[in-house]
Amino acid sequence: MNEFSSAAETASRIRNGDITASAVIEETLRVIEEKEKDLNALITFLREEALQEAKELDRRIAAGEADGPLLGVPVVVKDNMCTKGIKTTCGSRILERWKPPYDAWVVEKLREAGAILVGKSNMDEFAMGSSTEHSAYGPASNPWDIERVTGGSSGGSAASVSAGYVPVALGSDTGGSIRQPAAFCGVFGMKPTYGLVSRFGLVAFASSLDQIGPFARNVEDLALMLSVISEHDPRDATCVGADRPDYLAAAERSSLAGVKVGVVREFLTAAVEPEISKVVLDTAAAMKEAGASLVDVKLPSAGKAGLPCYYILAPAEASSNLARYDGIRYGKREEACDLMELYFKTRGSGFGKEVKRRILTGTYVLSSGYYDAYYLRALKVRRLICMEFESAFEKADLILMPTAPSLPFRKGELVDDPLQMYMSDVFTLPVNLAGLPGLSMCVGRSGKGLPLGVQLVAPQWQESLILKCGRAVEDAFGPAPVAGRGGM
Amino acid sequence: MVSEEEVRHLARLVRLDVTEEEIPPLQKHFNEILEYFHSLGNMDLDGLDPYDPEESPSCPLRNDEVRLWGQRDAALEAAPEREGDYFKVPRIVGEVGKEDE
Repeated sequence: MNEFSSAAETASRIRNGDITASAVIEETLRVIEEKEKDLNALITFLREEALQEAKELDRRIAAGEADGPLLGVPVVVKDNMCTKGIKTTCGSRILERWKPPYDAWVVEKLREAGAILVGKSNMDEFAMGSSTEHSAYGPASNPWDIERVTGGSSGGSAASVSAGYVPVALGSDTGGSIRQPAAFCGVFGMKPTYGLVSRFGLVAFASSLDQIGPFARNVEDLALMLSVISEHDPRDATCVGADRPDYLAAAERSSLAGVKVGVVREFLTAAVEPEISKVVLDTAAAMKEAGASLVDVKLPSAGKAGLPCYYILAPAEASSNLARYDGIRYGKREEACDLMELYFKTRGSGFGKEVKRRILTGTYVLSSGYYDAYYLRALKVRRLICMEFESAFEKADLILMPTAPSLPFRKGELVDDPLQMYMSDVFTLPVNLAGLPGLSMCVGRSGKGLPLGVQLVAPQWQESLILKCGRAVEDAFGPAPVAGRGGM
Repeated sequence: MVSEEEVRHLARLVRLDVTEEEIPPLQKHFNEILEYFHSLGNMDLDGLDPYDPEESPSCPLRNDEVRLWGQRDAALEAAPEREGDYFKVPRIVGEVGKEDE
């Protein structure tokens, strides 16, 4: 058992008694201790807790009391998902000492499945950012080149899987925050359909867009994670009640005969890194080879209007969601002589630059006099983008496009140019606006050795189709390698 | 164009201390993002209903019933300042002459 093992294989070997959970966790901790100094992928490292849990799990396995699809599998969870009694900072100073009194639904599900939490991962503050540089705990580094960013906002989770800390991790995706770092760090990351996975215990950023999803280095592990976390939860009123399909069966090798893959050629322009455009076309060719047919589809509004629309709607929702951080009931509080001063000082020192930008933008577009011109208009653009995807899906079963227009950039390069940073999400955020599922896969490396990602997008609730097609792509290009260690 | 004074006003509305050095970059950012949005001015959005409900599998509603949650003390414990079973705050009425009173 080593840093290359998959989650499925790890659980199966522990179940068969080939190896103990303690041995797996010790190896995990060794890898983390070796690499974390360079990567800063974790905000909280649960060293002792993980060892203790593994010991207890081994005892229960020996007594025949424990089993589960993730038996003894080490996992990392983004630090915006509540963990009972364990710090949940959201990458922010304002929550630096906060220990939630309950577990998020997904954390409960991971524990029930036998997984062992080894860390809470680094992220852009309140998930606002595309590089994990907007973390109050320092930027995370890309395992393929530590001078470069991991992408974001779930950069720590992506890096943890890429560096071989863990085979699987959880992130959240509001405008690309799972898929873009998956592309930058060279792993696979999936954003499910809005409403598939409960958001109970996920710290809210933009509630109509946020969705939790898995990172892994192969499609089978993504399916395994999805099957664990995607059950109906009555505590999230937007979580659908329908039965979930068998995702593991969907991820098995099969022909793509009869599947029509839509290629968005207008997205392969000069503004997109040529090496990325090339792997999109290579992926299309590989899917054709696996039996799919190719058609051209167009998404003009998504490409042109998605970004400004998102940067009106997401900050509007954020400005409302972040009103709760007032220094009264939990989180940081600054000393003040009256309540008003307490609010101003606590929020002023507790929130970072990007969060302040978004709260203020959101407040502006929601204020009377501007509501119709910005917020309402952006809602209409969102509707238009949904309709555009609907008509594209009349021609194609699945859409193939780049995950991000660029390769992972250098740390510091875009941190003072927010608009340029936002461009990083130009192909991912329309998928959130339409509430669709998307999978980002690493399918190759650039001339400089940096990962290259492509994105598969399907109609709502078609995760099975994404996994089936993803498996064919993985069969053609291989699973995601651990950074710096062979493969591809 | 959003003015510096509007940025200060917004910051007051959301109870956010913003330093004088933070104002110009915020103002610049505002104008860039709003200008970007204005570039969509020629899009035809007439007749689009943003609240048009899409067909979707249903989200079952749970019964509206009271359930006891055993973590009351843990929630109070998370408060920056607590007194008995209360969250403690500084005085609510501030000094005369402050902007928001």
